[in-house]
Amino acid sequence: MRQPVLWCIMLNNLLATFFENFSEIILSGKYLKMILNGLWLTVEVSVGASIIGLILGSVVAAVKLLPNNNKWMKIPKFICGIYTTVIRGTPMALQLFIMAFVVFAIRGFPQEIVAILAFGINSGAYVSENIRAGILSVDKGQTEAGRALGLSGARTLVGIVVPQGIKNVIPAIGNELIALIKETSIVGMIGMFDLTQASKVIGSGQYLASYFAPTVVVAIFYLAIVYLLTLVIKLIERRLRAGDKR
Amino acid sequence: MINVDHVYKYFGKNQVLKGADLKIEKGERVAIVGPSGSGKSTLLRCMNLLEEVTYGEVWLDDKLLTPVDPYLHYDIIEKSNTFKKLYAARADKVGEEGARAEIIRQIKQNDLLKRAEGREFSAAVKTFYKANILDINVARQRMGMVFQQFNLFNNMKVIDNLIYAPTKLKVMNKAEATEKAYSLLKRIDLTDKANVYPNSLSGGQKQRVAIIRSLMMSPEVMLFDEPTSALDPEMVGEVLALIKEVADDGMTMAIVTHEMKFAREVATKVVFINDGVVAEQNTPDKFFDDPQNPRLKDFLSKVL
Repeated sequence: MRQPVLWCIMLNNLLATFFENFSEIILSGKYLKMILNGLWLTVEVSVGASIIGLILGSVVAAVKLLPNNNKWMKIPKFICGIYTTVIRGTPMALQLFIMAFVVFAIRGFPQEIVAILAFGINSGAYVSENIRAGILSVDKGQTEAGRALGLSGARTLVGIVVPQGIKNVIPAIGNELIALIKETSIVGMIGMFDLTQASKVIGSGQYLASYFAPTVVVAIFYLAIVYLLTLVIKLIERRLRAGDKR
Repeated sequence: MINVDHVYKYFGKNQVLKGADLKIEKGERVAIVGPSGSGKSTLLRCMNLLEEVTYGEVWLDDKLLTPVDPYLHYDIIEKSNTFKKLYAARADKVGEEGARAEIIRQIKQNDLLKRAEGREFSAAVKTFYKANILDINVARQRMGMVFQQFNLFNNMKVIDNLIYAPTKLKVMNKAEATEKAYSLLKRIDLTDKANVYPNSLSGGQKQRVAIIRSLMMSPEVMLFDEPTSALDPEMVGEVLALIKEVADDGMTMAIVTHEMKFAREVATKVVFINDGVVAEQNTPDKFFDDPQNPRLKDFLSKVL
């Protein structure tokens, strides 16, 4: 009979601590600064990696899509094939380790750059496949019509096929960028202080000794970033589809 | 104008064309008919190399579009190691000319040429190729193509569909192209659709725009790949009328079609493709009234 009462008391205590901690995190400059530091790193790595990923992905996709009529195209095509296979076939955390402790095992080398490169290279493989799939979804007749008029393969690809394929690519790229932002939470594994790591430190015994409030605060931050990105993607998509029908 | 010389086309193990021969002279209007799967569309698409040929050559006037097929050139075969070997073994037995002809026939029949046939042979192929090849993109500018599925560029308005290729290929500047586009649109009575996207056009309108898109490049020959097969029946007439109009202007054309009445009316030559080869070609009257090939008789009895 006393069990429900006990639960109520526990819940009450928990919520009281939660709200107390929550307001402390928001109001005391110390914790907020830690979270903002972590946020800054997360944003820095995400933005840097997105840019590298998009550029790298576009280049790789272009190489894979260009017609294979030249023997000199075979080598870059082969390299790009290996790149996507290796990157997509190994865990992100492992790639990060390799970047941090093998490739850039240099004392004093800025870790941000290591992380940006690791995530950028990883993202590029997925982006390239997304772009390739989107472009390939464009009807083959469009290419044939362009070629039949005497346009070169590259001109047809850039002027006719890509503008139509990009609409199919945007949602998939959006997904990839969202996944990328959340995946950056593993940079704590190489000792970097990002948003997730901030929640861990604030929640530790050294500070609040409760993970409830800090994790919720950090979750809200992640949600806000991702939601903002979703809005931007929707906007871009609507812009691109505006030309579809009139 | 166009010469399709012994063209073979394999899709993997599936042999679609098995040595198709077809000559289209300037001013000729060739209708290509045949049962489905006989390779008539493939033959048409080989003419502007939308399909790469497996063996054989395609010529536009006196210019080669495909790689060299050594089997079609006696003087090149004679430079091969295989020929030299066979010739050395047989020259004494038969007269010289007879031996040459017989060995060439033997090589052709048994497909004896190998991948490597000596330096002299490769040099001969290369020289011939360099002397005759025409860049395919240049060739395609001279050959208009109209597809079954229209294939208008969906991301461009009608007017941009028309002027895109001529301006990008620097055949005309934008003002000239626009002027020509409007005069052609006026001809098909679609001036008011210049600034809409292809999605909002009917099938017949799309196909007519596709035809004038080809005409924008002032081609010397037009290839029509079943231009009315994807249309609603009531729209077939307007498209055929436009094709007829283009024909009356003296355009050389090749049309793959199922419209026998139209073929008879417009074509100067009708070609029957069966099982990957040209089984019969004749003037429309003789073709339809006095068919020789038994398979053609059967075909005509079903479609007419």
